[in-house]
Amino acid sequence: MEYRAVKITSRDNVAVVVQAVPRGEPVIIATDKNALKLTANEDVPAGHKIALAPIKQGGGVVRYGEIIGLATRSIRQGDWIHIHNMALPQEN
Amino acid sequence: MHFYGYPRENGTYGVRNNVAVISTVICANGVVDAIGRKVPGVLAMTHDHGCGATAEIAVRTLPGIAANPNYAAVLLVGLGCEGAQAPVLAREIAKSGKWVEYLVIQDNGGTSETIRKGAAIARKMLTKARQEKRVLAGLENLTIGLECGGSDAFSGVTANPAVGIASDMLIAQGGTAIIAEITEMVGTTHILKKRAATPEVARKVEAYVALGAEADSWRAEPVAEGNTHTVAPGNLAGGLSNIIEKSLGCIAKGGQSPVADCVPYAVKPSTKGLIIMETDGYDIESIAGMVAGGAQIILFTSGRGTPTGFMGIPVIKVISNSLAYNKMPGDIDINAGEILDGVKTVKEVGRDIFDLMLRVAGGEVARAEANRQEQFSLRQEGFPYPSLRDIARNCL
Repeated sequence: MEYRAVKITSRDNVAVVVQAVPRGEPVIIATDKNALKLTANEDVPAGHKIALAPIKQGGGVVRYGEIIGLATRSIRQGDWIHIHNMALPQEN
Repeated sequence: MHFYGYPRENGTYGVRNNVAVISTVICANGVVDAIGRKVPGVLAMTHDHGCGATAEIAVRTLPGIAANPNYAAVLLVGLGCEGAQAPVLAREIAKSGKWVEYLVIQDNGGTSETIRKGAAIARKMLTKARQEKRVLAGLENLTIGLECGGSDAFSGVTANPAVGIASDMLIAQGGTAIIAEITEMVGTTHILKKRAATPEVARKVEAYVALGAEADSWRAEPVAEGNTHTVAPGNLAGGLSNIIEKSLGCIAKGGQSPVADCVPYAVKPSTKGLIIMETDGYDIESIAGMVAGGAQIILFTSGRGTPTGFMGIPVIKVISNSLAYNKMPGDIDINAGEILDGVKTVKEVGRDIFDLMLRVAGGEVARAEANRQEQFSLRQEGFPYPSLRDIARNCL
């Protein structure tokens, strides 16, 4: 089974998985240039975010090319991202 | 790049060439409908505004809609005693240089005589419209409206970003895109302000999105700006972690272009580029505002699927997933679910939407048009939303 995720802009460090991905399964990110492949570190529900790159604690989670939240703990490539490891950024 | 449109007196171009017969008040709807039956080919545009508390929104909106270049000529039908006075509206519409006439039922011998006179005028207008020819027009003459309805978890993943790419492509060619539904921009003020073309526009963006937050608060939804999470449990379960992410999915329809200006409901923007219009999230009412603002085509995204169109305005449907597409394929123009299926990228679907938009501008029929989905409605204002709130405060 090939699991797919969708990345919106080139600046994004997360993608959204199309179907529920079980832990340890490979995920393909379709982009214009090349298809990045990574492994899910944990179960990721359908429509949820998966990290495309490591994000340090306090680092920005970027989707749509914008910071949608800050990592509340260190995030590895392939981690599920949701409210357990991301908080709202302080707005300016 | 270009499209083929109908040249109008004021330098604009219609992508459709309809004769519109419009009531100025609900009391004139029967006459308008009868003219529509007697003269097939005209659009009989009726609504339930125009008198009492609903007069203001009719006065604000109908002249802009009637001046939209997709309508070749306009016949207004009024009763005579209503707040939205037909002669006043006609004068306003005439500023566009368009052929506009009006009939007042109380001054024209009542129903049957007004129908007879109205049908004669409508026939003349139709004859003239049928002589119009499309000519080459640059994309700076195209304004689109961006709308979403029946969204799902993938609307912000596929359909909305793909429409955003089409919108950016049009703006890069000098065109204009109006993004509405300020109630769905809450949480993105700081992002939209950064995209504002000038400090003055940034100030307006802040004020407009605050209006959206206020409107949301009327509905007792917990979506106050800056709150923790502030999205519904269903949003959280679907993968949206907070209001910023949710609203970014909505404004993705506007792509990455700078915000050129913000305008009130139904007001025509004076600049080109990406425009924020203050509308609610109710599809037809929101579209009516953008049509009054000059939108000749609507790009409409959905996750669940919706059949709606608008009288005289092509509404192009883009759906977010293949499951919903296959449930009602006859209503949908573009299946952005192909992104989820791994068949196409967001950019490729964005280009598909742009190409289809130009073909539709030149006369290709969108699905909602083929299905004769011809809705027409104006914004509900004053009643019932604020007064319901008052009722809750004062009576419970």
